Parts: sequence; structure tokens; C-alpha cells
Amino acid sequence: MSFVSVQKLQKSYAGSPVFENIDCQVERGEFVTLLGPSGCGKSTLLRCIAGLTPVDSGQILLDGQDIVPLTPQKRGIGMVFQSYALFPNMTVEQNVAFGLRMQKVKADESQVRVREVLELVELNSFAGRYPHQLSGGQCQRVALARSLVTRPRLLLLDEPLSALDARIRKHLREQIRAIQRELGLTTIFVTHDQEEALTMSDRIVLMNQGRIVQSGDAETLYTAPVDLFAAGFIGNYNLLDADRASRLLQRPVSGRLAIRPESITLGLNGELDAEVRSHSLLGNVIRYRVQVREVELVVDVLNRSAADLHADGKRVSLSIDPTALREVA
Amino acid sequence: MRAETGKGGLYHKLVVYLLFLILLLPLAGTLLYSLATSWSATMLPSGLTFKWYVALWSEPRFLAAFGQSLLVCVGALLLSVLLILPLLFVVHYHFPRLDAFMNVLILLPFAVPPVVSSVGLLQLYGSGPMAMVGTPWILIGCYFTIALPFMYRAITNNLQAINLRDLMDAAQLLGASTWQAAMLVVLPNLRKGLMVALLLSFSFLFGEFVFANLLVGTRYETLQVYLNNMRNSSGHFNSALVISYFAFVLVLTWVANRLNKDKT
Repeated sequence: MSFVSVQKLQKSYAGSPVFENIDCQVERGEFVTLLGPSGCGKSTLLRCIAGLTPVDSGQILLDGQDIVPLTPQKRGIGMVFQSYALFPNMTVEQNVAFGLRMQKVKADESQVRVREVLELVELNSFAGRYPHQLSGGQCQRVALARSLVTRPRLLLLDEPLSALDARIRKHLREQIRAIQRELGLTTIFVTHDQEEALTMSDRIVLMNQGRIVQSGDAETLYTAPVDLFAAGFIGNYNLLDADRASRLLQRPVSGRLAIRPESITLGLNGELDAEVRSHSLLGNVIRYRVQVREVELVVDVLNRSAADLHADGKRVSLSIDPTALREVA
Repeated sequence: MRAETGKGGLYHKLVVYLLFLILLLPLAGTLLYSLATSWSATMLPSGLTFKWYVALWSEPRFLAAFGQSLLVCVGALLLSVLLILPLLFVVHYHFPRLDAFMNVLILLPFAVPPVVSSVGLLQLYGSGPMAMVGTPWILIGCYFTIALPFMYRAITNNLQAINLRDLMDAAQLLGASTWQAAMLVVLPNLRKGLMVALLLSFSFLFGEFVFANLLVGTRYETLQVYLNNMRNSSGHFNSALVISYFAFVLVLTWVANRLNKDKT
């Protein structure tokens, strides 16, 4: 039996369903990411688990107990919000201590636990500050500390990194994951950012339009998307319709074809003649747009040295790893 | 703010000071008149004295009117805080769509002229089971409706700035009941808006005359009604009254601002 088990969950707003018959399991200590475009129902699912949004029907089992009838206060779930939701009238220390205050934990014990958790997020020296005196990244770490101090059974993270700038985001992503591992905390993370999902999660649950499209580890989702949406949402797949796919491979293809940009090799002695249309430097990767048999393909090549760079308009040849071709529905 | 220099700067300053002068002139005149022994045929008063203030502040009828004004205003504001705060909370937390409706509703006290609505109030509360014309109660109720728009707008702005929903959600997940979350998390963050609203409403209500005169009149004399009734007495005395009233509101505003600043 999984630690968290969502069963046949239904939710609709004003008659139109947000999601129907959602089934989803999370193992103890697992870091699961709900990934999907905005409006796919991932945040609503998270809020249903937290008890902040009532469900229409279905069950949510946490450690074997159905928590649907319980109020948010009684679920023992910690949550971090995109907006941080720190209490502006309280210092960092008071913010973190709030949950313990509600549980009527004794002052000296509370103080020790607040110190511990602030140390965990490396904010001990900021205990006396107010939220408006902190940066976004620091605010989110305080919010994380505040949700951890009550030792929740389950931690929910609702796009906690979306409001932060790129550098802080990367750093905090690693910090959250390290803390989660250290505490062995079962965590559900919501994001629309595929990179966050791929780098952080034990398992990814990909959602679209109120249903779960695919669920698996990062490797599976990346290399074996089950359908067109999955292929389009994760990675930068070249998606070809049957027509263009047949032209490229010069054999009849019935469905759509997905080719990962890095599974194509550019060189001078490949199998297919092609022409470089444009290129852009992404840092360690150069992304080419090439034309081959009247089909445009995106090709990612590792940026080894400037001498390897193919200029726009240059004729090259390419080869495609046949095992990397995927036909999707 | 950018520092103004040169000719343009001088011009701008001149305009501002001139405006100040124009606004303050009547007040300065009143102040001088209230301090003058007599001032009729000369350019400047013939002498300065505090006797009008002494006379005013030892006049029992004035003190009573002052106290009654204070009581009515504080009563009305207390009522509005007790009713409007929970109302705002419910509107913004549970029924955000009602906000548009409320915005129309709070304009009503402004849309209907006081002379008109007081006639309606006289009809409604003049007799029958809820007869309270001539008592301070009707003024408290009526002033509540006047304070409503000020209170609602100022606190709504404040509420929108604090992300009410997330704060409530966070507090509840940390174990706080709705009541605890509202009292410990939301209310302290509304202090600024509440203060602004209270001061604004108080200054407005303290100077209100039409409703006070029509609904209650001399049966429960407020400051403005008293001032009106004294219009045929000494001008010096009345000037002292106006200045006293003005100074009181000024000091109150200043004290409230100081108290508010120290806490943040």
C-alpha cells in the first residue's frame, strides 16, 4: 500500500470538471512532481490533498487513512506557496514558530526546534528580520522552514520556485532536494517547468487537461513519451506528421514520429544530405535548424570547439540513430 | 522626488507656497480673531487675549456638545469596525464576486444627498417600533452608513495588498483555526488601512452638520449643531470654537500617525 494514494478523485468548478477519476500513488520518502501546463489541474489536485479545496468525490489515503473528511489543520501536511505566504507582521522566527504555537508546544522546546530548522535552511542569522527585509529566495527558505518545523507527514510544494530568478532557482532546487533526502520526507512538487521536474524528481506525473498522461521516472518520460502531448511537453522533440516522416525515412510511416534533437548526428559523411538553415548557441549546446528532404529538423550538438561550428547555408550530412525514433499516437 | 533648482524651481515653490497661503489664510484669520480682544474698525486687533478660549472651555453647553459629538462618532466607528471588518473578510475570502456589488452599494450614501436621505430617515424612524429620531442612536446608525465607503475602500486596498487567501491557507495548514488565522495573521496586517479609514471617517463625521441638525437637533446637541445655534453670539467666541475643533482633529491625526509608525 502506497503512503499516499489518491483514488478516483473528482473535482469540478461551476459544472465544468477540473479533473475526473484521478488515481495517483506516492511511496514513503518519494519526491514526486506533478508536471503540466497551467490549467491542467495539478495545483487543484495539490490543494485537494492539502484540504484547501473540497473534492466532489473520491478518496485520498495518507498512511492508510482517508483524509478527505479532515480539515486542513488535522491532516498533518506542510505546504509551501508560490507567493511564499509569509506573515508580514511577524519576524522570521515568529513565522517559523507559528505552527508550534498553534500546537501549544512549550516555549523552550519551540525555540530549539525553530533554531534547528532555520539552520537547515541556512537562515539562522536572519531570525529577527521581517519578511519585507528578505530577498525572494530567502523568503521561500523561511516558508520551507515554517512548513518543516511541525514535522509534517507530507510536504506539498506549489510552484515554489516560479517567482524567483534563474540563479536562485537552481540553487534552491538543489537545497530543497537535499533537505528532502536528508529528512526522508514524502514530497509532492507542482511545476510547469520540465527542467525542474527532470532534475528534482524520483518520479514525474505528467498531467494535461485534468488527466494523468504519463507517470514514471525522468529517464522514462524523457526517452519514451507515450503520446504527442508528452513528447511535445518534455524535451524539444522534432514532431513530424505521417507525411513528413515518410518523406524523411523514405518508407511509409502511419503515425506521427518523434525524434529527439540530440539523437541526430551532424557530420560530413552521414547518410542524409542536409543544409544548415540557422543556428543558436545555448551555451554547452548548439541548436541547429537543418533542412533535409524538405523537412525541417532541430538538431542539438554538443559545443566542443568553435572549429566544429557549421555556418548557416552550409551543406552537411546527418545520420539519425534508428533506435531513437519513436512513433507516437 | 527630484530636487528643483534654478528659475523653474523657484516658480514651482512660489506656486506651492501661494496655494498654502490661500488655504491657510482663512484659518489664520479665524485664529487671530479668536485671540483678539476686539477687532472691528482697525487693520489689526486692538489687543490679544485668551479670554474667549477660557470662556469656551468653561461653558458647560460646549463641553457637553463636544463630548456628545465624540460619543456619536466613536460609537459609529465602533459599529462600523465591528460590522465591516467581518464583512470584508467574508467578501474577500469566501465571495470575491460580491466585491463588485459592494462597490456599488457603498456609493449610495454619497449618491443620495443628506437632505433627502434625512427626510427618509425621519419617516422611517420618526414613529413606530423603531422610533429613535432625536436620540443619539439614529445618528450612530446614520453615521455608520457615511463611514462605510471610507472604511470599505481603505481596508479593501489593504486586503488586496496582502494576498489574503494564501495567508489564510498557510495559517490553517499550520494548525490555526479560521478565527485564529483571522485574528493573528490577517488583522495585524490590516492595521494601516484600518487606521487610515478610522481617521478619515472621524474627521468627516466630527464635522458633520446636516444629519445632526435634521435628525436630532438640540435634543442631543453635537459640536456642529452647537456652533450653528451660537451663530448669533460673539464672533470671537465662535472663532475660538472653530480653532479648538480644528486643533483637536489635527492633534488626533498626528497622534494616530505617530502610534502607527512606531509599530512597523
